[in-house]
Amino acid sequence: MKGRESFESRDFPWLVILSVGFFALVALAFWREYHSEWAPLEKRFKQILEQHGQIEDSRRFSLGIRQIWNPELGVVDRCITCHLGYDWGSVLPANLKEPFTPHSPLPYLEKHPFARFGCTVCHGGQGWATEQTAAHSGGEHWDDPMISKELAASYGLSVGQMVQMRCNFCHRHDLSTPGMDEINLAKKLIKQKKCMICHTIEGKGGMVGPELTFHADKSPELFDFSHVSGDKTMFNWDYQHLMDPGKVSPGTTMPTFGFKPEEARALTLLLLSWKHLTFPPQYIPSPIEVAPLMVVHVPAEAPIIPGAEDGRKIFQTRGCNQCHTIGSGKLIGPDLIGVGGRHPVEWLRSWLADPAAMIRANPDLAKWPDLFGGIVMPNQNLAPAEISAVIAYLQKL
Amino acid sequence: MREQLLRLWERLSWTWAPRSEREAGEAIVQNLWLHWFPAKIARRSMSWNYSFYLGVASASLFLILTVTGFLLMLFYVPATGQAYGDMKDLQFAVSFGWWLRNQHRWAAHGMVLVVYLHMARVFFTGAYRGQRFLNWIIGVVLLLATLLLSFTGYLLPWDQLALWAVTVGTNIAREGPVVGETIRYLLLGGTEIGQNALLRFYVLHVFILPVAVWILFGYHMWRVRKDGGLAAIETLRLGRRAEPKPVPTTKSYSLFGLTRGATVQVLSSTDMEEQDQGFSSPELTRRIALVFLLVFNITLLLSLLSNAPLEEAANPALTPNPAKAPWYFLWLQELVASTTVSIGSYRISGGLIGGIVVPGILLGVLGVWPLFDRSPQSCEGVWFARERRWQNITFAAITVVIVLLIAVGLGVRGPYWRLYWPGQPWPQMPRGL
Repeated sequence: MKGRESFESRDFPWLVILSVGFFALVALAFWREYHSEWAPLEKRFKQILEQHGQIEDSRRFSLGIRQIWNPELGVVDRCITCHLGYDWGSVLPANLKEPFTPHSPLPYLEKHPFARFGCTVCHGGQGWATEQTAAHSGGEHWDDPMISKELAASYGLSVGQMVQMRCNFCHRHDLSTPGMDEINLAKKLIKQKKCMICHTIEGKGGMVGPELTFHADKSPELFDFSHVSGDKTMFNWDYQHLMDPGKVSPGTTMPTFGFKPEEARALTLLLLSWKHLTFPPQYIPSPIEVAPLMVVHVPAEAPIIPGAEDGRKIFQTRGCNQCHTIGSGKLIGPDLIGVGGRHPVEWLRSWLADPAAMIRANPDLAKWPDLFGGIVMPNQNLAPAEISAVIAYLQKL
Repeated sequence: MREQLLRLWERLSWTWAPRSEREAGEAIVQNLWLHWFPAKIARRSMSWNYSFYLGVASASLFLILTVTGFLLMLFYVPATGQAYGDMKDLQFAVSFGWWLRNQHRWAAHGMVLVVYLHMARVFFTGAYRGQRFLNWIIGVVLLLATLLLSFTGYLLPWDQLALWAVTVGTNIAREGPVVGETIRYLLLGGTEIGQNALLRFYVLHVFILPVAVWILFGYHMWRVRKDGGLAAIETLRLGRRAEPKPVPTTKSYSLFGLTRGATVQVLSSTDMEEQDQGFSSPELTRRIALVFLLVFNITLLLSLLSNAPLEEAANPALTPNPAKAPWYFLWLQELVASTTVSIGSYRISGGLIGGIVVPGILLGVLGVWPLFDRSPQSCEGVWFARERRWQNITFAAITVVIVLLIAVGLGVRGPYWRLYWPGQPWPQMPRGL
C-alpha cells in the first residue's frame, strides 16, 4: 500500500485546491447573475414611487425583468426594466432624472400605445438587452442603433426629427402625416423635383437612375465612399450625394438640384426609411392622403430620319427623352422640336459638351435654369463624335 | 431511521472509497460505473506525464457539453424566425442563460483542441500499433465527429457569424468531385441555407452526432481494455514476459480481457510487480475527478471572463467583411484562398485543392499511418522514440503549419481578405447610421 499512499498524498492537495476553485467559481457565477445593472435601479424606483405618494403601487412593485412583448410586431422591449417612469407622467414630475423620466405626452401616443408598440419601434436600439451599453449603442453587433441625441446631432438633426425616419417605416404611403414635418417636406420634394423621371419607386418611374424602392436595404459596402467626407455611413453618402451628385459619384447624370441642407437631410431621412418590412395588416396605417404615384410621360418614339440614325439612338439610350419631348411640349427640359433652327451648330455643340460650364461662361444664360425648375441639364459625357451625331439628329427635328 | 440512512449511504459510497485492498478489488465488480476499469492498473498508465489525461479531459468536456446542451435545448427553437431571439433571451433574460451558453461554447472550442492534442499524444508515443490500430481509426472518426458537432452547432444561433461561417464551410463541400454538390444538398436540405438547413443541423447536433459520439466513445474505452490498457505498459511487459505465470486459482474479473494466445496464460499487467500497480478505485477515479474539476473550472472561468459571440441576426443579403469559417477550419479557408488562381477574368477556385484534396489526403494518411509505421516494437508507448523521429517531426511540422495558417486567418486577415498586422487598424467599413 506504499505506492497508493504516495498517490493519495500527491493528489489530495490538488483535489482540495480544485474543489475550492470549483466552489469559488460557482459563487462568482451566482454573484454575476444576481449583480445586475437593473436591480438597484428598480429598488430606487420603488422608493421614488413611495416618495410621490404611490404607497399601494410601491408595495406591489416587484423586482424583475420587465418587457413589452408584441410578437405581431416582433417587439421584445426590455427597456422598461430600467426606464421605469415611462408611463407615470400623470404622477411623477417630468424633470425626473433618467432612467426614470416619464415619456413626454406627445399627441400620437394615443394611437401608438406603449403596450402595443413598445419603445424600439420609434427609438431603435436593442430591446432584448438588459444592460445599458448593449441596449443603447447596441454594442458592436447590432445594426439598428438607438437614435440618441448624439447620433442625431452628428447629422445636424434633433431626435424628434431623426425618429421620423422610423415613423415612415409604416407611414410610407401617406402623402403627409401630422407631426412628420421632415418626411412631409421630403415627399413634397420628391414630387416637385420629379425624381421618378429617372428613378423607379415601387414599380413606377424611369430607368436612368437606380431603383429606390428599398434604398435603405442596400448594402453600404456596395457604395463608393471615396468621395464622402466624415464617417462612412449611408446617411452621409445620401446627404452629400443629394447636395452635390457630381462630387460623390463623378460622371453621374444626376443633376445638381441645389437643395438646401435641411431639404437634403429630409430627403436622406426619407431614403433611409425605405426598407422592406412586413407588418400585419392591422398595423398598416390607413393613409391620410395617399401619395399618388407620378404619371410618367414617356414621349412617343421620334421619327426615323436617315443620316441621323446614330444620333437618334444616342438620344434614346442616354435617356434624353426622359426630360425632352419632341413636339409634345415642355417636360423637365424644353421641347426639342425645331431646336436646330433655334440655336446654331456651335451653340448646340458647346451646350452638349458641358451645360453647366456654358451657363457659367454666358451671363445671358444665368436665368435659363429657372425656366426649368432650377434644374441644370446634367452633363452626359458624350464623345465629340457622339455630339456631332446628336446634333445631326436634332437639326432634322 | 438514521441507522437506515447511514447504511444506504455506506452502500452507495464504499466502492468509491474502499478501505482495504479487498474492497478495492470488489469495488470494481460491484459498481456499474467502475466495472469497465480493471481492478488494478499499472502506475505508469496512471501517471500524469504519460497521457496527460487528454482522453479523460475530452470525455469531461463532452460530459459538460451534454449537460449544458440538454439545458440549452429547453430554451432553443430551431426556427429561423425564433432562434436568434432565443439566443438574445439566453444572453439577457434567462436565469444563468449566459452561463449555459458560454460554457457550452468554451467547452466546444476546448473539445476540438483537446481531442486533437489527445491524438497528437497517441501519435508521439506510437501508441497505435498492432492491435491498437482499430482503436486509432475509431479515434480518427471521433475527431471528425467532434469537428462536425462543433460545425453543426455553429449554425444554431442563426446570426451573421453562424450563417456565413456555414456558407463558407458548405461552399467548400460543394467543390468535392462528383458528389460534392449532392453532399451539400443533403446537408442543407436544399440549395440555400434556410429553415431546412437549420433543422438538419439541429437534428445532427443534438441527436445523431452526440449519440454516435457516445457509442463510439463507449467502444473506444472498451477497446482500450481489450487491447491491454494503455501502451505505456508495453515496455514494462517487454521486459517481463519471459516467464509466464500459471493462472491464479482465484480468478479475477479483471483478467478476462488480458489473456492472449491459445492457452489460458496471463501475460499482462498481472505479470508486473506489486509496486508497479495501483487500484482503479480510488487512485484512478480520484485523478479522473481531478481532471474533470480542472476542465470544469477552466471552462467556467473562461465563461465568466468572455461571452460567447453573437453578431447581428442572420442576413443572407448582407455579407460580413471578412467572412470567416470557424477557427478550426480557418487553415482550410487559407488554403482555399491561396490556391484560388485568377488568370484575367477566369478564376480557378481553390475549393477542390485546398478544401477537399489536401484535407482528404491528410485524413486518409492519418487513418492508415499505423500500417506504414515500421519502427521496432520497443517504440510502443514511448514518448518521442528515436526510431520514430522522422514520423514525429513530420506530424509536428504539419501541426505547426496548420496552427500558423489558423493564426493568420484568425489574427491577420481583415476586410477583403487582406492582411492587417496586429496593431494595424482595420479600415472603417461603411454602415447605415
